Amino acid sequence: MISPQRVSAIATNTVREAIRNKVLYVLLFFALVLISTGVLLSTLSYVERDRILQDVGIAAIRFFGAAMAIFLGVGLIHKEVDRRTIYTVLSKPLSRSEFLLGKYLGLVATLWLQMAVMGVGFAVTSWLSEAPLDAGHAYAIGLAGMEAALLAAVATMFSSFSTPLLSALFSVGIYLVGHLTRDLRELGAASGSEGTATVTSLLHRVLPDLESLNLSIQAVHGLPIAPAEVAFAVLYAVGYSAALLVFATILFQRRDFR
Amino acid sequence: MSGSLAIRVGLLAAAIGVAHVAHARLPVASPAEQGEPFVPRPEVARATSLGFAAVLADYYWLRAVQIVGGEPNPEHHGHLLGRFIDVVTTLDPWVSHPYRFAAVWMVEDEEAVRAANRLLERAIEYHPDDWRMHFYLGFNHFYYLGDNETAADALEPAVRLRGAPTYLSRLVARLRADREGLDTAEAFLRELLKSAPDPYAAAEYEKALDEIETERRARFLDRARERYRERNGRDIASVEDLVRGPSPVLERLPPEPNDWEWVLHEETGKIVSSFYMYRYEPHVAARANHGKEGEGS
Repeated sequence: MISPQRVSAIATNTVREAIRNKVLYVLLFFALVLISTGVLLSTLSYVERDRILQDVGIAAIRFFGAAMAIFLGVGLIHKEVDRRTIYTVLSKPLSRSEFLLGKYLGLVATLWLQMAVMGVGFAVTSWLSEAPLDAGHAYAIGLAGMEAALLAAVATMFSSFSTPLLSALFSVGIYLVGHLTRDLRELGAASGSEGTATVTSLLHRVLPDLESLNLSIQAVHGLPIAPAEVAFAVLYAVGYSAALLVFATILFQRRDFR
Repeated sequence: MSGSLAIRVGLLAAAIGVAHVAHARLPVASPAEQGEPFVPRPEVARATSLGFAAVLADYYWLRAVQIVGGEPNPEHHGHLLGRFIDVVTTLDPWVSHPYRFAAVWMVEDEEAVRAANRLLERAIEYHPDDWRMHFYLGFNHFYYLGDNETAADALEPAVRLRGAPTYLSRLVARLRADREGLDTAEAFLRELLKSAPDPYAAAEYEKALDEIETERRARFLDRARERYRERNGRDIASVEDLVRGPSPVLERLPPEPNDWEWVLHEETGKIVSSFYMYRYEPHVAARANHGKEGEGS
């Protein structure tokens, strides 16, 4: 039985540990610089400057969110093994599942904290540039947070059984493929081969569809975004992340730390 | 300690100096900027955007803008601009301005205009309530392709759209009736000038309006020339013949601004303003000949 108190203790500790990581602040700094650079880039166009400013801002949040999720996620378990703290932690009345879940939730909390700072930077830049801001932007940034959480689950899953380097490579691969599954499905459907269409459709179902968590274009153009669409996207990310974590706990349970 | 620090500072200054001198001697333009720019196929650009389609669309949009802002004759780069705008609107089809930008600048030849029309049809698909997209499409069919019927068909749906000017319905009727086209072209151009997407486009429309005004005066001279032929049984040797002799057909020639004058074109024999050296013809095939006429004279 998973104890919320024990999971929460691990998560809190993970957040404390993560916010001491200086690399995270460097990434955050670059993200904020890129968000504000949108102002400069937008001046290169004589029209639709607000759009360019906000495209760059949301892209920076999404890119650095994904980078941090992978960067922090792949070292999640390895650090504990490397510093041998995992032996102390697991010798206490704490299951491996609770440990993994706590680590993951701590990581997600850290990511969301960072992305909230970036979101404030984006809002301030937009406000100073008099670019319109509405619920669509909040939806887009919120779903970027869900994408980061899903990627953190991917990285956590790989980090539960592999080295940080391999985990990073696998996670980046999943990230890239995750943005291609819709195109793959379309290509398969257009190929005229039933077998190819079935395979690409299956890949689209099995691999994460990260484009479903990308509403940046709709937000920037002020297009109507159905709350149901956002709710299903959140549900999809939560369900997919949960499945990855269950799989990770199974692998982690069998892992031999000797 | 202070000596060691001085050495380090000296080394730092020397290193910066070497880097600066070397950098100043490097060519500023990258190899990628030489020759025609590379534009990926739209579907490749979309597949490789990896969730950053909007930013990539902005990047290609800025490159297209640089062509118009940096080239003396951007309308000669219509095909290249078309490829850029196709990528932009494939990556982010909800953009608005790039479609109109394409309509303004993709006028190099008939193929470029037809490509611009395909982009405008995509614009209508994504902006069904924006009357301006219909307007540009109608203008292209009328002005560059000389197809009044298709122009009227393209313009007609805009009449019912919110914000559409009230005269659009009259313009549609005129398109179906006016074969000569000067009044219709002027009506189109005056509206395009009002809603010009950028100063460069506005300058192009003002030039086109000036061409129409010049053409009106040239047609007045054509009619006078015809009277001269009837009266004297021969053609004029120079435009001044119209106001010379015991019974001139005109009291004076219509004035041309800035001391430009009316002359007979050496090859075509048409009366032309020495400023333009060609007669107004809106269609792209005719416009392509303007350059040749200019070269010949």
